[in-house]
Amino acid sequence: MEQVPDGDKTGLDYPLAARGLTFSFPDAGEPLFSGVDLRVRSGEVVTIMGLSGSGKTTLCHCLSGIIPLIRPGQMSGDVLVEGVSTRQLTVPEVASRLGIVFQDPDTQLFFPAVEDEIAFGPENLCVPPAEIELTVQRVMHTVGLPEELRHRNPHHLSGGQKQLVALASVLSLQPQILIFDEVMSQLDADGKKRIRRLIRELAGEGKAVVTVEHDPDNLDIADRVKVLHDGQLVDYQAGWPYCEGDAGRVCRD
Amino acid sequence: MTAETSTDQFDPRSKLVLVMCISSLAVLLQDAVMMTAVLACGWLAAIAFGVDVAGILLRLRKLLYLFAAMAVIQSIFTPGGEVLVSLGGVSLVTSVGLDRGVTIILRVLIIVISAGIVTTASSRDVVQGLYQWGIPYEIAFMVALAIRFLPLLRQEAEDVLTAVQLRGLKLDEVPLGQRLQIYSYLLMPMVSSVLGKSQKLAIAVEMRAFRAHDQRTSYRSLQMHGGDYAVMGAAVAATAVFLLAAWRIGRI
Amino acid sequence: MIELVDVSFSYDGSQQVVRGVDLHLTCGGITALVGPNGSGKTTVGKLAAGILKPGSGRVEIGGRSADGMSLAEIGSEVGYLFQQPQRQLFAPTAREELSFLLRVQRVDEDEIRRRADAMLKQFDLQHLQDSFPFVLSRGEKQRLALAAVLMNRPQFLILDEPTTALDVKRKAELSKLLMRLHDEGVGMLIISHDSRFVGDLAERVVQLRGGEITDDCRNQHRSV
Repeated sequence: MEQVPDGDKTGLDYPLAARGLTFSFPDAGEPLFSGVDLRVRSGEVVTIMGLSGSGKTTLCHCLSGIIPLIRPGQMSGDVLVEGVSTRQLTVPEVASRLGIVFQDPDTQLFFPAVEDEIAFGPENLCVPPAEIELTVQRVMHTVGLPEELRHRNPHHLSGGQKQLVALASVLSLQPQILIFDEVMSQLDADGKKRIRRLIRELAGEGKAVVTVEHDPDNLDIADRVKVLHDGQLVDYQAGWPYCEGDAGRVCRD
Repeated sequence: MTAETSTDQFDPRSKLVLVMCISSLAVLLQDAVMMTAVLACGWLAAIAFGVDVAGILLRLRKLLYLFAAMAVIQSIFTPGGEVLVSLGGVSLVTSVGLDRGVTIILRVLIIVISAGIVTTASSRDVVQGLYQWGIPYEIAFMVALAIRFLPLLRQEAEDVLTAVQLRGLKLDEVPLGQRLQIYSYLLMPMVSSVLGKSQKLAIAVEMRAFRAHDQRTSYRSLQMHGGDYAVMGAAVAATAVFLLAAWRIGRI
Repeated sequence: MIELVDVSFSYDGSQQVVRGVDLHLTCGGITALVGPNGSGKTTVGKLAAGILKPGSGRVEIGGRSADGMSLAEIGSEVGYLFQQPQRQLFAPTAREELSFLLRVQRVDEDEIRRRADAMLKQFDLQHLQDSFPFVLSRGEKQRLALAAVLMNRPQFLILDEPTTALDVKRKAELSKLLMRLHDEGVGMLIISHDSRFVGDLAERVVQLRGGEITDDCRNQHRSV
């Protein structure tokens, strides 16, 4: 069990931490998961594995403050973003500390040009236009989107490029924490490789990163692997069937 | 639907003014000859702004058949004026009826073709234009989202229709009662998809600090140029002339 | 069973998404269509199912030109599973999902019940027969969509990215299910970028790149 030491009030050591997180849907008897403890250091990639329906996406929503700030649900325990409980923050306050990229590129991109997409967040935070211009250039460079894609419609880009745009639009808010919710599931081999390398680079820059996965092939970027199983978040152990990469073996039990 | 880039030199607001002028004329005018003149102006303007008029008409052809049928029906049931075609003493087409039918078609054509002008502006520019006019950003943003997601929904509707037919459904051979039931079934995947999408969108929008403050900055700000004033001036002047002429001949 | 001869296709009239594709698919075998995002895989699948009409070249289904066939006629020969199963689920219950289109076609009520029972059993959906399809899990939705397509008894199936969003366990289940259909003589075209999944199943792998077939070979590594 991981305990957040009381000394870490500022969240400097662990930008993202969960304490005794329990969640149940309204009208459901059994909690989806309970007693989840997690601490993520700066520069670290923690991967959470689990089968479909195990509650991974809901856990993502709790870790990113979407629950309870945007979506309702019975959540007990706390999520600390840079040392502050998400219950005491507003959504924009969370968004400037923590960025989340979702699985489906089409429901997280809304503008007809890449640059507009990236500028949306900083505009909401009232960043002066000249500074936004620099931010757009910087994050496009970070994610490796070539300058000539700037005026293109994200809707017409490849799946991998769309996810890069989604990531760039989140990075423009300069979050210290990044959460990736199965972002590679719709990408081909090349797209996956690019995103994996990028996630490692971002951790190298000191971001605290959580990736959520069902595909064992995407585990190589993780410093630590946790498994969400039967409502508990446990350490991955050698020989755990989810991570074998051998689909047949999982089915046999 | 939206332009790939925003290299277009006209401010979206001048396009909005132009389209509002043309469509007000379409609604206010009653005279078929004057409406034909407005349609000609609107058509020329649309082509000047690079609208694919032929493409729009092609996509709307089924709807146009419908309006043509409505025009004929209007014409049959509207008495008055000279009888142009009659069958066994029953007047089928009268001059007044024909006039009304034709104006309906003209009205639809004018509105549709001129609205094409707005779609040549990037939806971001339209949002920004509306915002700079003082319309709340939330509302302007919703308009942009609608523009962005309509084509996606159309694609989805096509998939749904294809899927049900591939499963052996011959839609045109099904009796009406059952057809209604099937249509109600087809709505289900559409509604569930719209609900799911809008929920995900709302979360994505909020997680990018939407409505963080009462104000927001704009990375791109729109600037009206001489050409824009010329377009707006010409649109307003032409509208005034048309309205005045219509008033003089008493057909407004 | 399905034959594409020198087929080209473009969505907007200018950019060719599929170029000069020749593809002959026989009854009975499993063929995988692989390639990166945007290589035209889904378009080829929709052309092969007669959903899209080729710009040039021709498509034949069961020896007839797909041009002259209605979607309903094609559907009795070829079943098509969309990437998003929720786009092909309509009815208020799982059983009704399997039955309602046969009822429209005036198939005998006993026969419908018999076929639906068999499908529910084969796809492990018996306990869900009264459930609302939209509340099912992704894997269950997919099984139901597949069962519904098979109610029409097509001899050939086209599956567009069937493993998207399926975890290892559900993938293995799907793999087993498809093998069983294969053993019953149903031919398949599986469109996928999941090389491990198709590597286990397919006897033949067709590689698509930039809208053209770059490779078409027997799968040496097939393990099942």
